[in-house]
Amino acid sequence: MTTRRDFLKIAAISGTALVVPFHWAEAQDKTAEPFKPNAWVRIDPDGKIFLTVGKSEMGQGVRTSLPMILAEELDADWKKINLVQASPGPDFTRLWTGGSFSVSGSWKPLRTAGAAARAMLLGAAAARWSVPVSDLRTEAGMVRHSASGRSASYAELVADAAALPVPADPPLKKVTEFRLIGQPLKRIDGPSIVDGSAQFGTDVKVPGMRYASVVRCPVLGGRVKSFDSERALKVPGVRRVILISTGLAIVADNTWAAMQGREALDVVWDEGPYASFSSRTHLEVLDKATAQAGVLMRKDGEGLAALPKAAKRIEAKYVYPFYAHAPLETMNCTASVRDGACEIWVPTQAPNAVQTRVAELLKIEPAKVKVNVTLIGGGFGRRLHWDYALEAAELSAQLKEPVQILWTRSDDMKFGYFQAASVHLMQAGIDAENKPVVWGHKKVSSYHNARSRPTAEQKLDPEFNRGSAWGVYDVPYLVPAMEMSYVAVDTHVPIGPWRAVFSPSSTFARECFLDEIAHATERDPLQFRLDLLGEPFVFKAGGLTLDRSRMARVLELVRQKSGWDTPLPRGRGRGVACNIYDAETHVAFVAEVTARPDKTIRVDRVVCAIDCGVIINPLGIESQVESGVIWSLSSVLKDEITFAKGHVEQSSFGDFDVLRIDETPPRIETYLIPSHGEQPWGMGEPTVPPMVPALVNAIFSATGKRLRRIPIRASDLA
Amino acid sequence: MPRYALTINGTAKNVEAPAEMPLLWILRDFLGMTGTKYGCGVGICGACTVLQDGKAVRSCQVTASAAAGTRITTIEGLSPDRSHPCQRAWLQEDVAQCGFCQPGMIMSACSLLREKPSPSDADIDAALSENVCRCGSYPRIRKAVHLAARLGGAK
Repeated sequence: MTTRRDFLKIAAISGTALVVPFHWAEAQDKTAEPFKPNAWVRIDPDGKIFLTVGKSEMGQGVRTSLPMILAEELDADWKKINLVQASPGPDFTRLWTGGSFSVSGSWKPLRTAGAAARAMLLGAAAARWSVPVSDLRTEAGMVRHSASGRSASYAELVADAAALPVPADPPLKKVTEFRLIGQPLKRIDGPSIVDGSAQFGTDVKVPGMRYASVVRCPVLGGRVKSFDSERALKVPGVRRVILISTGLAIVADNTWAAMQGREALDVVWDEGPYASFSSRTHLEVLDKATAQAGVLMRKDGEGLAALPKAAKRIEAKYVYPFYAHAPLETMNCTASVRDGACEIWVPTQAPNAVQTRVAELLKIEPAKVKVNVTLIGGGFGRRLHWDYALEAAELSAQLKEPVQILWTRSDDMKFGYFQAASVHLMQAGIDAENKPVVWGHKKVSSYHNARSRPTAEQKLDPEFNRGSAWGVYDVPYLVPAMEMSYVAVDTHVPIGPWRAVFSPSSTFARECFLDEIAHATERDPLQFRLDLLGEPFVFKAGGLTLDRSRMARVLELVRQKSGWDTPLPRGRGRGVACNIYDAETHVAFVAEVTARPDKTIRVDRVVCAIDCGVIINPLGIESQVESGVIWSLSSVLKDEITFAKGHVEQSSFGDFDVLRIDETPPRIETYLIPSHGEQPWGMGEPTVPPMVPALVNAIFSATGKRLRRIPIRASDLA
Repeated sequence: MPRYALTINGTAKNVEAPAEMPLLWILRDFLGMTGTKYGCGVGICGACTVLQDGKAVRSCQVTASAAAGTRITTIEGLSPDRSHPCQRAWLQEDVAQCGFCQPGMIMSACSLLREKPSPSDADIDAALSENVCRCGSYPRIRKAVHLAARLGGAK
């Protein structure tokens, strides 16, 4: 193959005049280099465009929304793009999906990457046709020169473009020039999902792979004291029983044999120090701890010192339990350790963490650990941890064979980490004009401890505590005296991020208590909120800058669309709640319910108004609204996680059930503040926190019963 | 170990398996057909739903011996090209979020439409209430089932 460089060399040596071939594309052959200006874009000489996705797909749509951003600036033909899922490596050292941050964090880097590639393709065409770049335009994978009617596909320009320098700061499109962004494009993975070919972690098959199931001490913190594998090894298909860090691994030729093997295992457990732990006692401990001062996170004016001066005082405690993630795909990982290297296939939100931790465990260089990120059958924050990947690597290293560990539903329910339980002490002071003048919120809960533990210094640091108390200190409302504190109760129960993390419990307490104040002062709860969102609009809470006017705008929208001001007949009620998530996405909900004669609640309608800045894909936003609504309704109407005698009591969807289709409101409506500004905000979590209080407030409106604990039970409404 | 003559998506498959081994694992581990998913193993999440003689069953609760001699249809067998009305409807309504529950959901929907070619919302709720979707795609599932019905989904 004659490369351009060779051609020039030959021309120079032979003394012939330098002739740059005009129809360069014809001189290309299949072994020509692909155009790879950066880690995100690759265009092969045959025209195939590959866009790299740096976030894990867990249903939030990143494998569609992120390529949309790249394809927009690149002006690629959307119908012809191919996706590459990023793997940890020199180009990708910080792969991590969470925080509702995928779109907003990728926005600028992806736009720049796409625009850089496009600029180089334009430069190549401009040089080829000897015209200024400004006379050219791009569209669906083509460069066009309107004046002469000439055009070239990106494929034809790839070689020339590759020789150009990569611009560091290419011009980006104006928001008004977007063709793809803002469109309701369907999920790229849709087709493979509906024909069953989509590959999740559990679907990975590697030649020679064994299947394993790990038996863990039912009491958290316990371990194997002794075991007898004789019966287990007799189960057809079971090959070995191996003790690993997390428990006893039954290794078999198929998943069923492994699961059967565990039933035949005889184990004696050392239950460890927490065998008497119960969640009932834990909640009592949290309740008692509301008497402690804790760490002050925010104080405006006199704080709670102003309370005695108030004409009227209201106080209430709100209780929020433990929850499990319960994704439909249980934890799993496939690992193959061999010849001083390891390859992993894993549904993970944290690929680089997996690489680093596995490398540490195996005492090899991270570069020797290849992490393949599969689709995730539900993440919700659980798959930010590397625990289930580490045990697979450990087992494979011992076995010296590739192995897939699949957690049973019961394993998944009982082990891993949980959403922390919390108790919230709410206090308000009202003046003689019935205006709230004092606001107090003390959250008693547990820090995250599953992946790392806070230091003694962090525990005393207000900023660290604010970081564990979203929704407590970043209150949108203006009340002259405010005081928010955090009291930490340490626990051995593993606690980690669960969808919307620290926000759902705080927002539940806050938005319900606000409703209590509104009703106590005979104010309409929605107008009451608007009245507390006055000037100054922009203010700081901790490290966040909030804008009350944006929240007010969203509340006005939900008021209008829900028909809030039209009364409902007796037995039906409406509730409102709102929240600013991470100072970015603004969400307001109105829930409409009917209180049935049998004292159960029917959720008739949920209306959601959102301001998420720049709208990438309205179809995706709608699905995240529905997703967050249904997630939150599960937490109110279905089950919690409880502990007794040191172990989790729930083991399946039978006792930790989630909302089914027959309890889903017939109407969930989404209304968007039109796309504005220069930055999109996240949608994965923001719709979770305010849905809970909207529903609980609606229940009050329909029944007169104020509930301060979730999940609710029929007896609460009797 | 006994041998069982299974018919999967119209094709004869002979497998050697313990009599009580669930069809779910025969499909996934012996036949490499991973479209049918494991969600709970106790028959209450619907992820493993397949059709047995045209009716939805939870394959984690169907043993090898019970599957023998019946016609099993999995998500892979609905069509060679995603043209089954349920698949087309699911794509048109952009139903899936993570997608893990959808094969089971689609199979349950197929079973419903065979029995009730024009189901009401209440029919849909009753038929699909055994299928968990943790992502909350239920509103779009309802729309997709209605659309599939209009597309002639009772196949």
